[in-house]
Amino acid sequence: MCWRCHELDRRSLLVGGGIATAALSTGVAQARIRPADMKPLIGPGFRPTDTDEIGLWQQMQRVEEEVAGSNLLIKDPALIRYLQDLIGTVGGPAAKDMRIYLAHIPDFNAVMFPSGFAVIFSGLLLRMRNEAQLAGVIAHESGHFLRRHMIRSWRDLKRKSDIFAIGSMALGVAGGATGVYTGDIAQLAQLGTILSLFRYSREMEAEADAMGARLLADNGYPAIEMANTWEQLIGEEDASARHRRKRRDRGGSLFATHPAPGARMADLKVSAAEVTVPGRAYDSRRARYLQAISPIRKMLLDDQVKLNDPGASQYLIETLARDGWNGLLRFYEAEVWRLRNRHGDDLRAAQGYAVAVAYPDAPPEAWRWHGLSLIKAGRQAEGRAALTRYLALQPNAADAPFIRQMVS
Amino acid sequence: MMRNSKLILAAVALALSGCSSLGGAGEGFGSAYYSLVRVGSRQVGDGSMAVTAPRPWNRTRKLFLFDDVRWVEDWTLNGPLLDGMSFVSGLPSGKYLIRQRRTEDRQVPKFRSDMSAPEVTAMLESLYRVRGGAVDFRTTSLQPRTFLGTNGFQFDFEHLDSDELWRRGRAVGAVVNGRLYLILFDAARSHYFGSAVGDFEAMAASARLRR
Repeated sequence: MCWRCHELDRRSLLVGGGIATAALSTGVAQARIRPADMKPLIGPGFRPTDTDEIGLWQQMQRVEEEVAGSNLLIKDPALIRYLQDLIGTVGGPAAKDMRIYLAHIPDFNAVMFPSGFAVIFSGLLLRMRNEAQLAGVIAHESGHFLRRHMIRSWRDLKRKSDIFAIGSMALGVAGGATGVYTGDIAQLAQLGTILSLFRYSREMEAEADAMGARLLADNGYPAIEMANTWEQLIGEEDASARHRRKRRDRGGSLFATHPAPGARMADLKVSAAEVTVPGRAYDSRRARYLQAISPIRKMLLDDQVKLNDPGASQYLIETLARDGWNGLLRFYEAEVWRLRNRHGDDLRAAQGYAVAVAYPDAPPEAWRWHGLSLIKAGRQAEGRAALTRYLALQPNAADAPFIRQMVS
Repeated sequence: MMRNSKLILAAVALALSGCSSLGGAGEGFGSAYYSLVRVGSRQVGDGSMAVTAPRPWNRTRKLFLFDDVRWVEDWTLNGPLLDGMSFVSGLPSGKYLIRQRRTEDRQVPKFRSDMSAPEVTAMLESLYRVRGGAVDFRTTSLQPRTFLGTNGFQFDFEHLDSDELWRRGRAVGAVVNGRLYLILFDAARSHYFGSAVGDFEAMAASARLRR
């Protein structure tokens, strides 16, 4: 089945990419950078003038063409407009120059490319509790662009490393960015790895954080939400690792590119306090965010839960439910238990489905699984009634022929 | 079924290193990874199920301690990136369709003998998402179907994988005496599915239990 897994394991890719960039991290503890010191280094309509940067931009243009033509992109026009507006809001002086793409990849990640386009992974949208959190990630990524981190780290890498090694890495980048596009590697995820060549130093990450906090506060968002995002990510990775009885793997997701999460979270809290103007009203714009992602929220939950990473999924659902439980979240909570499939989980899931269908906004699938688990427990009549309800809500469901047979 | 990514990478690496896998090591003019399946009746998996191949196929070798789930066997016509047929010959309760480390974050759920058809299909969906890199997976049909002379199911689906290719699949299965029997065909949606789904149907119809 899935040995078409020339889908490279994203995690190993990111870890692999880390080797190239280890040289960039000094390992020296970095003092916090003050948001007030963060001035954008580029203005509106920036175009590169140095030869190496012009070359880099040309390569990135090809990469962007690949990204823009990928069928992994989620193309919902309203949602894309919303994201574009967001980067247009928190993008500082370059706000109108940046482009944003949404990739259907259930991981927590976002990548800013050197020429000013960003790729957001759909898994990121699932994890954000409000617009301020999403704007924080986007502002952070914009910070890299505004502070010209890509070209700075590229030059830094070239200065520090073997020139021939750099040459072959550059070839690899070009290979990914030109006509000989190596289509067999998990495309967008792989582009992230290409970008890991431009991995940022701790100092640059600290700069992007400080810049991001400032952009966030300037636009009326509570900057503390950036620290909250980190807290959620650390919590999720811890929960995932705990469930599999191991330590948190810092190779995955954003941790690979963003060292020392605990320290950064602490710095972000101080920075948030610094950029917050007493008396000014800040709004996380949660309702607006939920409205924007509502067409795909169910899909996002589905994508995550079906990966059967129960520690992470349960943490995520509970985090989202801090803003209130609903039928959708209750249904997916039960789904986590069903797929986890440990001793007693079938009973736990059955109770979960029963709770979910009590909500008026329970998805039709909640009735389906409620019915199936009732039948499994020997409660045939009730089970059939629930399945009948499912068929009434979803008469054209793909599995209707099978369910109908169970009901009859 | 389902070799994992490393095996495929190994196969690809071999192919890239000068096509030495063709006409090289291994028996006949096959490769070390495949052996010929001739037309006719043949036992699959652990031997407790038999099917009749309507034309020659290629059987994928198992690697010891890697993908050697004894109840599972994989075949292909044009290579695993384009099409594949997997046979499950009586997976017992509590076992997995694939080998996976206990510490893996994302895991394919284990089979349990009391699973209903919708639960089995959900397990297959997670297999594609967890191990196949599917970013989009759509069930197109789930219907009753007799398999091995018993009440089984037919599961039709499509998935978009991270190599940006849409693939289409069909499985027929049944739980017999608490064990899962399944034949699953999965291929690139354009051309390859249509060109070999007839073989799948013939083998599903010819499938029988031994013992």
